[in-house]
Amino acid sequence: MKFRRFNAAIAMLVFALVLGVDSPAFAYLDPGTGSIMLQLLLGGVAGALMILKLYWYRIKSFFVRDEKPAEKESKDP
Amino acid sequence: MSDVYPEPGSFRDPSGRIYYSGDRVYRSVTSHGAEDFVFVRESGLIDRLSDAGKLIGTKSVSADVLGEYGKDAAFVVEHQRVPFISYPYEWPFPALKAAALLHLDIQLEALEAGISLSDATAYNIQFMGSRPVFIDLLSFRKYRDGEIWAGHRQFCEQFLNPLLLRAKIGLSYNAWYRGSPEGIKASDVRKLLRWRSKLSLNVLAHVVAQAAFQQSSISKTDSKRSLATAKLPQQSYKRMLSKLRTWIETLEPADTGKTVWQDYANTNSYNSDEAAEKRAFIGKFAAATKPAVLWDMGCNTGDYADAALKGGAGYCVGFDADHGALERAFSRAGRDELNFLPLLLDGANPSPSQGWNQRERGGLSARAKADGIIALAFVHHIAIGCNVPLDDVVSWLIGLAPQGAIEFVPKQDPMVQELLALREDIFPDYTEETFLASVRKRAEIVEEKTVTGSGRKLVWFRRHDGPDSDGC
Repeated sequence: MKFRRFNAAIAMLVFALVLGVDSPAFAYLDPGTGSIMLQLLLGGVAGALMILKLYWYRIKSFFVRDEKPAEKESKDP
Repeated sequence: MSDVYPEPGSFRDPSGRIYYSGDRVYRSVTSHGAEDFVFVRESGLIDRLSDAGKLIGTKSVSADVLGEYGKDAAFVVEHQRVPFISYPYEWPFPALKAAALLHLDIQLEALEAGISLSDATAYNIQFMGSRPVFIDLLSFRKYRDGEIWAGHRQFCEQFLNPLLLRAKIGLSYNAWYRGSPEGIKASDVRKLLRWRSKLSLNVLAHVVAQAAFQQSSISKTDSKRSLATAKLPQQSYKRMLSKLRTWIETLEPADTGKTVWQDYANTNSYNSDEAAEKRAFIGKFAAATKPAVLWDMGCNTGDYADAALKGGAGYCVGFDADHGALERAFSRAGRDELNFLPLLLDGANPSPSQGWNQRERGGLSARAKADGIIALAFVHHIAIGCNVPLDDVVSWLIGLAPQGAIEFVPKQDPMVQELLALREDIFPDYTEETFLASVRKRAEIVEEKTVTGSGRKLVWFRRHDGPDSDGC
């Protein structure tokens, strides 16, 4: 769980760097995470990188079975 | 003005609200929506779309027309009135498809003017005959550079996914949609689609990938917040819209496709003497009564709606429970440019009042009253097919409109015999005498005519107690 939170923080950082800092332009309608992520994917390389980042922990854990507990703890925001 | 009241279903968008006063329809624009409204108005988009018949007619009026309700309004506009409000779960396939294409066309045109749409609800589209018209002026707002298509999921749930059910699986979406007025989820359609349908890139993106992303573990608030700043290049936005448009244009109901109309010429019964007599009777009724809005209960492919319109009815709303017939009727309305809107409705189970507070989407009786009705080969389906007492069926029909024409199909008629073929005849009161007595209890019979050898009878009624009486 903590590792996920760390990833979310990284994800936000990547967003800020890759896509530019911006305040959220909320609609009165919830666009849905599925739709936003699809649009990121259809929107080109930057968006696709973002998707990759959001899923990075899953990809990583697929290849790296056991994370060192100490590393997880130290990155806890 | 004391007779002003808000539309109960108009509450979701803080930018404004719909109000009624007598026969008039108004829309307030609040301070929340004022800036966008001015931007959109000055862009000329509203006039262009209205002139092209894509957007409901709109004119500015004084806020005074709303009385107390107008106090906080930044602007008030009056809209052209739609003859009959219908909902997407009542639309046959070609109607939902036409509405979907209109939505996409409007978005594409708006983007060219630097304007986007804040939502993609199918309830923002109404019909004038078979022509879809966009009715929500306040969905338009200034496009912000890089903004995502906020209404994409809603578009899929309320347009695309129902269309796919009919086009890819041959499943009618209406009952499901009615039970789920916000639409049909991608995750549900994904489970139903055959694997070969999923090989399409369009299905893969808008159904499979969207559902997979939605169900994935990206559910933590932090991650969601990061997604809220997501951007979509405008070119990609336009490409999404135009690709969806191209795709939806190719969708046709499964197993019927474009053969529907080829079949029509062979199956219509226009030329039989019986049909000609019925058409003449309906034409005469319409010419004498000139109903502004006529309801055709059990409209089938629209033969008699057509006769009524040619006779002098102003606008006809047809109801039927047969999807194939409705699809033909809708296509016919478009082809012949008829003021005719065919909708899906089971007479024994009409659309209910539902949604928030059970008032957001009006049921049939809560929505409107007709100026006239016709019900040909209809009564026996309800009285015998659904066991509703004959007197109740007549009472309901006469309650719908102050005047109309009803056909009574006697028990010896082959169509009724077919309904009784596999069941006990528990309808001793299903007789012409009972039918006529039921009509006379509530209405004057202006004219009656026997039209077939089997004894089918047409009755033109004029209700005793005028247009305000209630049905059953």
